[in-house]
Amino acid sequence: MSRFSRWLAPTTVVRAHCDLPCGVYDPEQARIEAESVFRIQEKYQGNEDPVYRARAIHIKEERADLVKEHLDVLWHDYFKPEHLEAVPNLHELFWSATKAASKAKASVDPADGKALLAAIDDIDAAWKKTGGAEKTRVAGRPG
Amino acid sequence: MLPAIAPGDWLLVDPTTRDWPRRGSVVVVREPDSGDLAIKRVAAGPGDRVPFADGYLILAEDEAWLLADADEETARDAGFGEPIDSRRYGPVPLDLLVGRAWFRYGPLRRFGPIRHR
Repeated sequence: MSRFSRWLAPTTVVRAHCDLPCGVYDPEQARIEAESVFRIQEKYQGNEDPVYRARAIHIKEERADLVKEHLDVLWHDYFKPEHLEAVPNLHELFWSATKAASKAKASVDPADGKALLAAIDDIDAAWKKTGGAEKTRVAGRPG
Repeated sequence: MLPAIAPGDWLLVDPTTRDWPRRGSVVVVREPDSGDLAIKRVAAGPGDRVPFADGYLILAEDEAWLLADADEETARDAGFGEPIDSRRYGPVPLDLLVGRAWFRYGPLRRFGPIRHR
């Protein structure tokens, strides 16, 4: 750039940005965190040590928050209005799954963890039904 | 904001706020969520109705509705996600508007006024 055009060039930059998502979405991400929640609930029940139990609760709640975050990303970013045709109860599925995540976060009963896993499986089915497995993973879902 | 504004455009921005937000003009705004300077088009001004969720809302006397030119589909096809605009952060307080982009002085092949829509 010449000195003249440097002098002319604006000094302030404005953006016209959109999101720049990677386009990779998979309910498996939420499921793995939810499996942690479930396992920790089981382990909690099998161990009386108060320090262990305190750690278990702390980590379980962290994982449950991650479940909610991953579900939200799927809901907000992956699923589009046109997917409602294939999955008319989509919003209900997410509502009950995130509610189940909240419940599992506050509970040490493995049954709540299991309910969360089932809710995520329903979302997984919706993701597959809308072609998510082929469209969003780099080479389809492994395995 | 393509094709109206392209990356690397040099813009003149008018900070006098007397005549705007006029619908269709391109404005520089300090974004509510991030505080970043962004460029958007005024889709509606104070007192206008804008479609929102399944209904509509009426903008207050000190609010504007700013949209990117790209619709969701175009942005997605270009490999971007949803445009970040009033559909994301809602009505924008007029205080956050910085000025109206009215002229492009560079690059030379794109020299000329920024058009209203």
